[in-house]
Amino acid sequence: MTRPTVGRRQILAVAGISMVGALAACNGESTDTQHLRLSSWNIPTDLASYQRIADAFVADHPGTSVSVEVTTGQFHQWFITRLAADLAPDIIRITPQQLGRYAANGSLVDLTQAVPPEYREDWSEPFWAIGQRENGLFGIFQHTDNFITFYDRQVMEEIGVTPPQAIEDAWHWDEFLEIAQEVKQVTGRYAFSYGWSGPETAYRWMPLIYQNGGAFLGEDGLTPSMDTEEAIGALEFGRRWYTDGLVSPSNMSKSGGGHVDFDLFNTGQVGMALTNPEAIASFDEARPGEWGVAPMIRNSGEASDLGGNTLAVTRSSKNPELAAELVAYMTSRENIQSFCHDGNWIPSRTSLSAQDIGYAAHEDVMQLFIDQGGTIPLSMVRAQSGEYFSSLNAVFADYLDLCLLGELTPQETSEQMMEAMLSVTSR
Amino acid sequence: MSPRADRSTRTRATSGRRLVPYVFIGPAALLFLAFSLVPIIIAITLSFQDTQTLGEGDWVGLANFETMATDTLFRTALVNTLIFAVGTVPTAMAAGLGLAVALNRPLPGRAVFRALFFVPMVAAGVVVGVIMSWIFNTDYGVANNALEALGLGRVPWLTSPSMAMATLILVVVWTRIGFCMVIYLGALQSVPAEITEAASIDGAGPWARFRRITVPMLAPTTSILLILNVVFSLQAFDIIYVLTGGGPGFSTTVLIQYVFRSAFQDAQMGYAAALGLVLVAILLLFTLLRQRATRRAESYL
Repeated sequence: MTRPTVGRRQILAVAGISMVGALAACNGESTDTQHLRLSSWNIPTDLASYQRIADAFVADHPGTSVSVEVTTGQFHQWFITRLAADLAPDIIRITPQQLGRYAANGSLVDLTQAVPPEYREDWSEPFWAIGQRENGLFGIFQHTDNFITFYDRQVMEEIGVTPPQAIEDAWHWDEFLEIAQEVKQVTGRYAFSYGWSGPETAYRWMPLIYQNGGAFLGEDGLTPSMDTEEAIGALEFGRRWYTDGLVSPSNMSKSGGGHVDFDLFNTGQVGMALTNPEAIASFDEARPGEWGVAPMIRNSGEASDLGGNTLAVTRSSKNPELAAELVAYMTSRENIQSFCHDGNWIPSRTSLSAQDIGYAAHEDVMQLFIDQGGTIPLSMVRAQSGEYFSSLNAVFADYLDLCLLGELTPQETSEQMMEAMLSVTSR
Repeated sequence: MSPRADRSTRTRATSGRRLVPYVFIGPAALLFLAFSLVPIIIAITLSFQDTQTLGEGDWVGLANFETMATDTLFRTALVNTLIFAVGTVPTAMAAGLGLAVALNRPLPGRAVFRALFFVPMVAAGVVVGVIMSWIFNTDYGVANNALEALGLGRVPWLTSPSMAMATLILVVVWTRIGFCMVIYLGALQSVPAEITEAASIDGAGPWARFRRITVPMLAPTTSILLILNVVFSLQAFDIIYVLTGGGPGFSTTVLIQYVFRSAFQDAQMGYAAALGLVLVAILLLFTLLRQRATRRAESYL
């Protein structure tokens, strides 16, 4: 039997054909069109909104094109690897808590020249501070969300409590704890749930520190300040949630991924939920007409969670001026209005009310969210949009979890958290 | 054809034949180069740098490795990794072997059972994590509702630092039993029937046959499975990330999670690379020890 032989020419021919194929595959579109890529979280309505706004921009800018992509997987992993390969999209949708590191390490482009000067007037100081640094503007806050109090109407009727409607009448901590004890009696399980959604959202508990007059970081946005009486007092308040059995241990800063807070409310195991506007769709589906809203709780100060997203231009962009122009276009009053209308988001522009947005439903609830957005403190914004915040948030998640579990006392939590925070900020 | 031309044709044919193996291993070698060798070299160089990104760092010598010596979270993660590996590897292998032996005989619906036990291995870790977080939820999970229906108390499966690791081990063992079972089933088919029959004729009971014949004959398979399971346990990330996020507290923070956290949350690529190398070193050390032990065991067969 003769063995089939492969000749050098055949090998060269196969290699040649493969090479041509590979080169053809690598060949990009060779046109004069300036192409931009915008990446957003995988929310179908938002992707459609971005594309619609981008198409309008392209219509005004002949010779350009814009494609909307999805940010996949864990954000930092996705973004760092793409930046390293110089393949990051031109524009990214990024949370305030994620932005600080990239604004500080040169991964984002200064937008100052592209943004009309009058924009600054329509954002509150805290919301503008998210993207603003001494050396430039590295993002424009497009939309926000925050925490208010959702309650079960029937439970409130049973305990004879009329929840407050205005921000200035919000329940103070001691009032809230009293009501929570009564709610617990009615539900037979717990009183309320809190809107964490996994360890990366531990920062959602930070408003409690600010409500008590404390701060996570000092005014410089860098110095750890979890050793103050106010901060320790907030930890003591949080610890009581669990020692008094008001909150389920399955609803905690590091555990409780997904939406344990919604599930607990929807299954009637709690009578209140301190959470964000995403709850509306869930509660409407599971318990239509059975819930109401009140402002976020408060103590000596007011504060609520800093949710929402910023648009920023990355250093990978080959057309940074055009990308910055698109960011300015997307954050125009008209486009924020339509974006928030379609996606049920809270606008970052102060001149937009719920009525202006024209939400499809729950206009009063959305207006409360808009009003509550005004209580987000500037110092908390500076802390959360700072350079080290991703690391500090992980530290916060670790030690808050240990405190709420009762593994550490609030005093011990404060000491150990401070030590861990200092090891981060001294890098 | 002249002798010269003939020689030339033969030379071409010989060199063509020499090239053939390279053509076949070429694609695999390229993939190995691109996805293994180069990343390993980059990881080694990164481990000697202080950098937030995959490059542009400052050379810091052994500083990253020195930091580990005083890093309490590293020690916690290392201990948790060992507990997790010790909890998952022998348990999954023993249960897999038990099932393989049980399903290696004529049983009604045997194929269905085999498929059912293998399904968890196919399911994505994230999906398993999400579903298990519902099942083991303290308040509305199926597990606790079932216990309550039986008149037993609720168990803090994922919310107590002392229970969370045990629950994780339980979930991971469940996903891995099918894999061990399938590999053992294949190996059991290759145990020569004449040896067991001879032992049976000599009066050896089922347990003696299993212990003295089947288990030793499965040694090479056990060795491979052990290494694979240890690798799986050291790489277990998705289920833990979704199910507990490393908590409560630090009770389920394992080394691979700490690598991820250092790299992407803390933006300390150099330190993360150093941690990754420690993980690889543990794995290499284990594999070498295992190979030596297997060689010694096989020499007695």
